[in-house]
Amino acid sequence: MTTASLSGGPEPAARAVAVSTPVRSARRAWWRTHSAQRKVFGYTLLAPAALYVLLLVGAPFLFSLWLAVSDANVGDPVASFIGLENFRAAWEMDTFWIAFQNSIVFLVVAAIFKGLLGTSLAFLLLQEFKGKKLIRGLVVIPFTLPIAISVLSWKWMYDSQFSVINWALSRVGLIGGYGSESWPIWLGQPHLALAACIAVNVWRSFPFSAIVLLAGFTAVPLEIIDAAKVDGCTFMQRFRHVVVPMIFPILMIGFLFDTVFTLSDLSVVYLLTQGGPANASKILPVLAYQVGIQAGNLGRGAAIALFLVPLLFPALFLVLRSLKRREW
Amino acid sequence: MMDPSTLNRRKFLSVAGAGVAGGSLLTMLDARQAPAQIRGTTLRILQWSHFIPAYDAWFDKFAKEWGDKNGVKVRVDHIPHLELPARMAAEFAAGAGHDIIHNGSSILTRLYYKSLVDISDVFGSVGRKYGGWIPAAKPLVEVEGRQYGVPMFYILLPMLYRKDLFDAAGLKAPDTWELARVAARTLKPKGHPTGIQFSQCADANLNWRSLLFSFGGAEADASGDNILIDSKEMREALRFAKALFDEGMTAEVFSWDDASDNRFLASGIGCWIHDAISAYRTTEDTNPPVFKNTVIGLEPAGPAGKRVSVAAANVYMIWKFSKNQQTAKEFLTHFMDNDLAGMTQSRGYNMPYLEANYKKPMPVIGTDPKMQILQDFPKIVAFYGYPGPFTTPIQEVVNLYVLPDMFTRAARGHAIEDVMKWGMGEYRRIYAKHKRA
Repeated sequence: MTTASLSGGPEPAARAVAVSTPVRSARRAWWRTHSAQRKVFGYTLLAPAALYVLLLVGAPFLFSLWLAVSDANVGDPVASFIGLENFRAAWEMDTFWIAFQNSIVFLVVAAIFKGLLGTSLAFLLLQEFKGKKLIRGLVVIPFTLPIAISVLSWKWMYDSQFSVINWALSRVGLIGGYGSESWPIWLGQPHLALAACIAVNVWRSFPFSAIVLLAGFTAVPLEIIDAAKVDGCTFMQRFRHVVVPMIFPILMIGFLFDTVFTLSDLSVVYLLTQGGPANASKILPVLAYQVGIQAGNLGRGAAIALFLVPLLFPALFLVLRSLKRREW
Repeated sequence: MMDPSTLNRRKFLSVAGAGVAGGSLLTMLDARQAPAQIRGTTLRILQWSHFIPAYDAWFDKFAKEWGDKNGVKVRVDHIPHLELPARMAAEFAAGAGHDIIHNGSSILTRLYYKSLVDISDVFGSVGRKYGGWIPAAKPLVEVEGRQYGVPMFYILLPMLYRKDLFDAAGLKAPDTWELARVAARTLKPKGHPTGIQFSQCADANLNWRSLLFSFGGAEADASGDNILIDSKEMREALRFAKALFDEGMTAEVFSWDDASDNRFLASGIGCWIHDAISAYRTTEDTNPPVFKNTVIGLEPAGPAGKRVSVAAANVYMIWKFSKNQQTAKEFLTHFMDNDLAGMTQSRGYNMPYLEANYKKPMPVIGTDPKMQILQDFPKIVAFYGYPGPFTTPIQEVVNLYVLPDMFTRAARGHAIEDVMKWGMGEYRRIYAKHKRA
């Protein structure tokens, strides 16, 4: 044993090695350090999701951007760049503005009703009652049914001649018989047609809103609610000042999903009215489909569809800003 | 006649060889025996789900039997007719899919012809064999003098009216649009209105064009390049439609789809409709007493006595990307050889394009006294774009329901000149865009 070793330090030779080693090991260490390995592991886990977003969301989005500035049509494999011509042409379409306006009405009215009905349903499902689990399962049926089947059922219910809604209303004396002035033609009168489409969209989607809210409500600790009760808060005060702030992130995400689903809902309107009568229920996705696919103008159709993006941005901005603020 | 003294061995062999080869070819053609090289191939066909389901069952069996006989594996896929354009776009984009594709009502030949096989040979040989095609057939599939499709059948939309109601009210048969209007005006107060779709559906596109063209109006000129909608006849047709709606219909027609008028007639409410004979068949199946009193009439004449019946065209095409183009051609030839069998299986719904197949009595419609009048329609049949061809701009006009929307606006009370201004704006915008392209 040497003095150096006795004093706790390494031998000179070993020290030389120890001095020279860090240079080499520092190069290797970057890869081998725990934090680097954690990072690599993290990115590896993230990679499939990032790839998914890039390939399945980013690529089609970029492709639609290209289509919108090209003269692409369904029958021609070669498309050329035409600048903003498609946007200008859409802008000049009378039908485009009707569809744009209808899309906003559709979004706002549906959101209000889905919010009201979803919240009410969520509160109802929070209560203790017999068969609660069964009821919870049943309420999501509209959301889980294939859209074509459920919308076709509604089409029958709205039928101008055989509408079960009208026959029921007629039987209880609220409207006259078939052929009378008061017999509503759900899909044939402009305002009723749009309202009928919104009603089906709300019927399909409000269980989703309820489930999202229910998940939020059940996450609020009962002690906090009880404390608020002890402090004398009314039901509305508890809801506004305790529950809503606590489930705010969930609410915002639900709102964002709902906005996207509603704005891009092609099936309900297309299957019920095809946008009629005389474009009274036409919304942007239906117009984009008719122009882009049925009439073959991929470029123009893509441009019309891209007008949905400015409608989505405010919702996205609102949600992300609210969530960011809450992080602070 | 050949001089026997000049006949040497070489000449004898060449003449005999040509004779044997020609004879074999004729025998093969006569028996419609497909060439051996298609054996072992696969043929995929995409077509609509027919309104007469029995036709689909027959067609699938027919295709399979042909495949079994010729060593070809045949697969037939049926989808709703409204989905065909989207599926066609998807197959085009992918460069893969079916070999034969069906277009119904919306004929997309001009849009896709660069990606379709030129089948002028099939079109020509089938035409020659069966006395030629009716005049309206060629413009459906022809682009720049070549044929890119085979017209398979079209669907008529005649007048279907309740003879019992007409007789009880002392009304004449709706042989003219004016008589049809008088009938609607008379029978609506008795609880029997009429109805034509004022909505965005295929029947609306067809029915209002029949009315317009019978009124002497036109959509585009023979070249297909110039719009002819801005006319006195168009304005008269719009005024007439408005009056017909006010006097003889209820607001439900604004919500109708292609099947609503079928139900309307079958329910016993409607006094007349202008629809395909699927309505007649639906009534036969669901309400026999009403069916007994339902009569099929010729296309009503316009004010000057003109009759034009706009029909729903159906066409088969072959994709250029198909690896089995020869097989597809052989099948189409075989299918056209059995055109009348298809007509029978569709219960008279499928009307032929081939002149020879109009020999009276025609299958089904020639033997049913109430349907015999349908045999007189070929002379007055037209398609979208009349008198011009079904061009790409017209196709867009049709798919955006511009013409039905014009009639709907008129019925809803918009001033005729406002309707014309709007409609012409839409037509011009679409035509201008295609001209630029």
